[in-house]
Amino acid sequence: MAKLLEVNNLHTRFKVRNGYLHAVNGVSFSLDKGEMLGVVGESGCGKSVSMMSLIRLLPPAAQITEGEVLLDGEDITHASVSRVNAIRGSKVGMIFQDPMTSLNPFMKIGDQLIEGIVYHKKITKADALQQAAKYLKMVGISNAEHRLNEYPHQLSGGMRQRVMIAMALLNEPSLVIADEPTTALDVTIQAQIVELVKSLREKLNMSIIWITHDLSLLAGMVDRIMVMYGGYVVEEAVLDDIYKSPLHPYTIGLLKSIPSLKTEAGSRLPSIPGAPPNLFSQPTGCPFAPRCTYRVDRCQSEVPALTAVPGETGERPHRVACWVDMRGKGVKQ
Amino acid sequence: MTDQALLLPQEEKQFSLAKDAFIRLVANRLAVVGMVLVVFLFFVAIFGPYLTPYDFLSQDLLARNKPPSWEHWFGTDDLGRDILSRVIYGSRTAVIVGFSTVSFSLVIGLFLGALGGYFGGKVDAFIVWLIDITMSIPSLLLVIVINVSLKPPLVNWMDAQFVATGNEFYRNTIWVDFVLVFGSLALIKWPKAARIIRGQILSIRNKNYVVAAEALGVPTSKIVRRYVIPNAIGPIIVYISAALGEAMVLESSFSFLGVGVRPPIPSWGNMISDGLRIWQLYPHVLAAPAAVLAVVTIAFSFLGDGLNDALNPRQWK
Ligand SMILES: Nc1ncnc2c1ncn2[C@@H]1O[C@H](COP(=O)(O)OP(=O)(O)OP(=O)(O)O)[C@@H](O)[C@H]1O
Ligand SMILES: [Mg+2]
Repeated sequence: MAKLLEVNNLHTRFKVRNGYLHAVNGVSFSLDKGEMLGVVGESGCGKSVSMMSLIRLLPPAAQITEGEVLLDGEDITHASVSRVNAIRGSKVGMIFQDPMTSLNPFMKIGDQLIEGIVYHKKITKADALQQAAKYLKMVGISNAEHRLNEYPHQLSGGMRQRVMIAMALLNEPSLVIADEPTTALDVTIQAQIVELVKSLREKLNMSIIWITHDLSLLAGMVDRIMVMYGGYVVEEAVLDDIYKSPLHPYTIGLLKSIPSLKTEAGSRLPSIPGAPPNLFSQPTGCPFAPRCTYRVDRCQSEVPALTAVPGETGERPHRVACWVDMRGKGVKQ
Repeated sequence: MTDQALLLPQEEKQFSLAKDAFIRLVANRLAVVGMVLVVFLFFVAIFGPYLTPYDFLSQDLLARNKPPSWEHWFGTDDLGRDILSRVIYGSRTAVIVGFSTVSFSLVIGLFLGALGGYFGGKVDAFIVWLIDITMSIPSLLLVIVINVSLKPPLVNWMDAQFVATGNEFYRNTIWVDFVLVFGSLALIKWPKAARIIRGQILSIRNKNYVVAAEALGVPTSKIVRRYVIPNAIGPIIVYISAALGEAMVLESSFSFLGVGVRPPIPSWGNMISDGLRIWQLYPHVLAAPAAVLAVVTIAFSFLGDGLNDALNPRQWK
């Protein structure tokens, strides 16, 4: 399949009061056309910041210090501001976590939906609204023409998230970045949104990056999973490889802490001991080492590189950054 | 569905927001008093000079310091000039200075405040520094310094131009007074406007819906116009009302001290100053401009308070 997105060695940091917070420390991955990638990791591990860095949607305190992002072969990291705006408006759609605050309370749904396309596609407002109504219907909002004239507070949370999805799709983007789009919703609505995205993906043939901290949500939805820890990518492989033969101790820990039907009532769920890493200083070794039960000496002195090993299922390599060979349980050379 | 059908209800809604605020303003009795007085002041400032019974300069040395009468409602001053006419003309002076000061300080303040709020970082630090420095300069001191340093050379230059060219424009140096007074006031008064807009931008910048708009590739200028300005408009209107009153009082104070608008052009301030010399004998000469100044000050503060309550949704009951 053709490559849509290629991210090489991306670094993003925040300038804070006394120094820098290193939020993204050399993230590399690629995405094919039509492919769906799940990004997981605990809170604060840099999922949002790294994916926002792709389209440079960052607060002023943030800076991308290294690396490049190629979308359709075009370097976004070094493009002009107006070019980035154009790319955002035509090739990339964003869906945010909190639908309750992602819509301007003073603006009608219709006006907000069309803001991007009126600007970028130079079409009339009437045409744009017609388009908006079409997408509202597509995301399952009934009475779409009427909804265009309503204000955000007149919609339920699930409907607002559908509106946000319609807003992201209206540009007909080739890449959609969904940052925990279901976290703020209750479980039944969550399932509906997941189904909706799955069906839209088939219909519109987009590539999707789905950020979540809930590994179980990704089952049956994504093609590949990328696991992040402390601003690093620690493991990345196709869905089945991650679920059935995880190679990074952190991923293994994450999978163990998912409750399943087999979990006995009253028993404790396993959790990963220790706290997330301090991002103010860059680690000398593996960022996960202090919490890792498989730790060896080398883990504290050298940062393991993300290296590819053959995948268990299919062609795609399984990439992992760990000094311990979890398959053979030996230390890598 | 036509564009028209979609547009109509929206306009209705947007009006209703302003209408709501207006209804609240009108329900506040003091604010209405303030508003009526302020509107009256503007009316007098604009049309008054054409309606005055006497020319504000014409002297009647036979009728000096006359107390109020049918011919002279507010009496006459020590040169026999009609005080009512001079108070009316003084309102024009006050309004001109007020408006120019406020508009200039608004333009400077909005621009710098928006710059700092939006770009943050070093730009913002510099602008905050500029605001602090400016706020630490006493306005009286600045006006006096400008008066003694800038005014004489400027007036001399205008005189020289008049002698050289004969152009009438250079003859009337009263404009130098005006420009220097409101110019220096504007230079001092902008930080308040800058602070308001900067605060608004900072608070709205991180709102999720602004990030969402940025994610759609909506450019900064459009985001400022559609998201930031509508949010900041309330505080700015309140600021304008308060600043207008303040600028008029300052103009009077400066004119009172002889560093503002100078006689024979009437200003409430220089009239009060004149009246003060003879108030034991002829209190009416002082009373009229002083009372007008007091009423105007109070009117603006009533209106400002009322606007603040009406435009701030958190105050809505
Ligand atoms: N505006 C900011 N200024 C300073 N630091 C920030 C800012 N935004 C994020 N960070 C820091 O960057 C790191 C990564 O944050 P990020 O939002 O990417 O986490 P995340 O993986 O998306 O977490 P979550 O699952 O909670 O959304 C965190 O340590 C966070 O504190
Ligand atoms: Mg996040």
